[in-house]
Amino acid sequence: MHPTRRRLLAATAALPALHWSPRAAAAGDWPTIERAARGQTVYFNAWAGSERINAYLQWAGAEVDKRWGMKLSHVKIADTAEAVARVRAEKRAGRDMHGSVDMVWINGENFLAMKREGLLFGPFAERLPNYAHVDTSGKPTTRIDFSEPVEGMEAPWGMAQLTFFGDGQRVAQPPHSVAALLDFARRHPGRFTYPKPPDFHGTTFLKQVLLETAADRAPFQKPIATEGFAALSAPLWATLDALHPSLWRQGRQFAQHAAAMRQMLADGELLIAFTFNPNEAANEIAAGRLPASVVSWQHDGGTIGNTHFLAIPFNASAKEGAQVLIDFLLSPAAQARKADIAVWGDPTVLAVDRLDAAQRSLFTRAVAPGMVGRGAPALPEPHASWVEPLEREWTRRYGQ
Amino acid sequence: MSRVPSADPGWLVPASLFGVPLGAALWLGVSPSLDAAAWSRLWQDSQLPRALALSLWTGAASTLIAATLTVLIVTHGAATSTWRRLQAWLAPMLAVPHAAFAIGLALLLMPSGPIARLLAPLAGWREPPDVASVQDPWGLALIAALVLKELPFLLWNVAAQLRRAGQADEITRQLQLAATLGYSPRSAWWRVLWPQLLPRLSLPLLAVWAYALTVVDMAIVLGPTRPPTLAVLAWRWLLDADVAANRAGAAAALLLCLCVAGGAFMAIAAMRALHPLLMRRWTRGDRPPAPARRRPLATPLLGSAYALVVLALVFVSLAGVWRFPDLLPAQWDTRNWRTALDSASTLGTTTLLALLSAATGVALAIGWMETTPPHWDTRAAPFVFAPMLVPGVLLAGGLYQLSLSLRLDGSWVGLWLAHSLAAAPYALVSLAPAYRALDPRYEQTAQALGRGRLATLCRVKWPMLLAPIAAAFAVGFAVSVAQFLSTQFVGAGRYATLTTEALTLASGGQRGLGAAFALLQALLPAMVFAIAWWLGHVQARRLGAPGAAAVGA
Repeated sequence: MHPTRRRLLAATAALPALHWSPRAAAAGDWPTIERAARGQTVYFNAWAGSERINAYLQWAGAEVDKRWGMKLSHVKIADTAEAVARVRAEKRAGRDMHGSVDMVWINGENFLAMKREGLLFGPFAERLPNYAHVDTSGKPTTRIDFSEPVEGMEAPWGMAQLTFFGDGQRVAQPPHSVAALLDFARRHPGRFTYPKPPDFHGTTFLKQVLLETAADRAPFQKPIATEGFAALSAPLWATLDALHPSLWRQGRQFAQHAAAMRQMLADGELLIAFTFNPNEAANEIAAGRLPASVVSWQHDGGTIGNTHFLAIPFNASAKEGAQVLIDFLLSPAAQARKADIAVWGDPTVLAVDRLDAAQRSLFTRAVAPGMVGRGAPALPEPHASWVEPLEREWTRRYGQ
Repeated sequence: MSRVPSADPGWLVPASLFGVPLGAALWLGVSPSLDAAAWSRLWQDSQLPRALALSLWTGAASTLIAATLTVLIVTHGAATSTWRRLQAWLAPMLAVPHAAFAIGLALLLMPSGPIARLLAPLAGWREPPDVASVQDPWGLALIAALVLKELPFLLWNVAAQLRRAGQADEITRQLQLAATLGYSPRSAWWRVLWPQLLPRLSLPLLAVWAYALTVVDMAIVLGPTRPPTLAVLAWRWLLDADVAANRAGAAAALLLCLCVAGGAFMAIAAMRALHPLLMRRWTRGDRPPAPARRRPLATPLLGSAYALVVLALVFVSLAGVWRFPDLLPAQWDTRNWRTALDSASTLGTTTLLALLSAATGVALAIGWMETTPPHWDTRAAPFVFAPMLVPGVLLAGGLYQLSLSLRLDGSWVGLWLAHSLAAAPYALVSLAPAYRALDPRYEQTAQALGRGRLATLCRVKWPMLLAPIAAAFAVGFAVSVAQFLSTQFVGAGRYATLTTEALTLASGGQRGLGAAFALLQALLPAMVFAIAWWLGHVQARRLGAPGAAAVGA
């Protein structure tokens, strides 16, 4: 063959290997993604109600700036639903590229909505290098969010488990089950409450009571069947009917959210409060907002646990930057700092015992006042389809 | 007889710059609700009847109480020194943002608040009492907060009316005439002056009624929770992740608009029906004796309420652990203030945005007034008042969609435009009385002496109107500082202002830090109001008495 023609054939054969479009770069191998991420600005939409978390994100921003020249811009929102609404509005307006949200801190119903409506970019999570360290076997909620398979559309960030806390000086024997809690409320009327559903923590309390009072928990892991709902939820309503007269304000009024409950505990208005972060009480003691006598505990039979995640919207302008940032946040160094009581105290998603010695040493096992003494198993969340019927029935019974 | 002045065609510029985006935003905000499914979902919601009843009750009660108190304060105090002192304090009271005031009042009234702690030794409480003093099911705390916040606004409007050129003399003359006919000052006020003044207060009263019905941030902090007011329900639904809930929320917001309009019509109809009866009663010829002079109570109570609220905010922002029933915190802690003052970029963003928006708003207002004759103001009133009367969340949603289609979302320009749109109506409403009331002979003289239009404006008219323009600027500044939803949505959450920080921190229950931000949020407009007042004062002294009187200063 003529040499020029041979070279031309060879060149045309090599053309498909030229991946220069942004979409291909996002789907390409890791070094390509890292290169593309250099100098990008990632707009991370995350709930900003806690200055501890905001400070941790500032540290993370300084780190990614040092290593990749990326800029992390923490977009402070009061509720994840705001970011979901924005992405949805952008999709409806035809904005398929250059979206305003690059990364979102998400789980549960918001994740379900985004996944079902095709608002997410992915799958990307399982291709991240640091995903190999994630404890997918010991922490199954990292792959199933509210009974919906994650399928790599979001990356796990931290663990959460329903934990109760109260002043050890005023609560001599912390109740370690819903039955004990009911008994406690009767003995100390007006000193316990829960946030009004559909607040996230209020709904979780309902789910906890539902799971603890049920004879069999299996039906709750499956999608809801309307015929069985009344029978399956009857123990829950019976328990709440017995509990409400002893609640704060006799159940005529409820706390606005979990933070309001914590504040009322600090003021002495409530004796028991609860949270999703097992290290919350320890953090607050360290920050000087709760007295040092506060103790935390979990119910003996187990409390609801789940994982919170990081996701990337379909139209993010900095997809590579977001992936590099998420990979950094999954690294042992970042996870260890996040789990540090003095910084944030959010439990890690990594399998610490599978790390090498140097990385394992980053995770301090120091015990601080206010931490949970004896951990309890994490119960998986009921299927997401149970949430709305529960909330609606609660509102119908107690909401007006 | 002089020709009725006509508008020069330039009026189209400010009118369209304001009206077109506003119309588009309103349409985009309201259109999701024009959907039968949304209304049926709203109708079937079990919370609707009570929520609607609560909204109507709190709105009507607070408006009527505020109006009655205004009338009583002015009737009994108009001629006294208390009135003059009150006028000096009205601007700072107005500068306190609604959300910050609600947070402060909640801190004051809550069962573990300072009042309960003071009462604890007397009542023998060892723990905070189980009494719903805030978020009570009847909405009394919300009504109290609304009355306390709207009273200075109404008094400020009355003061503005009374200060208009020639008005003060007119009132004195009418009071003197009534006195010579044997009527006490109080009777004279009720029979002669209020029938003239109240119709001029109809627009501020409408604004108060609309605000009380559609307020969200105060209702969240102080209002009932089971169920909340309809405005809070609409806001929650509009921000929900579920699209059907968004539509139901838009329908609920539209329902609130209809209630505002309905309430206004009912009030007008009631006044019309009552008018003949009242006239018959007042022209009976009886001369009720003057009541014994009582020390005015309402004004000191109003002032002390504001002082206590500010004090509560200061206390909580500096308190560490503060167990009941200690009167003072066990630990004082400055970390909240250090964090708040560390966010210098937030302060900078808020101030710059507010300065630009206020300037744009005032420019739009002056542009309108320079190009249109005075009687066009009544024609423009519906458009000018629409942003104030429509629930803020609808407008913010519509503005966001507009900015999305114009690709302005997440940009400084979009944010500046959204804030200017919010500030312009308030700037116009506060500037119009003084601007229109300026004696036209000053302009005519200057033009007769050969000065062009622009020179007249820059050298004669605007320097004379410096005090009202500065006051309008301060009002626009305060409105921009208080914007939350438009900053979050149109700005795609990328620009943190003091208000967004305060409210997102409040969602995390960090009371101390939220209180610190709320105080900063109140301080900024207060400083601008003070500067505006000082500028007006200096200018009035420079111009001397005739110049000041021409502006009604």
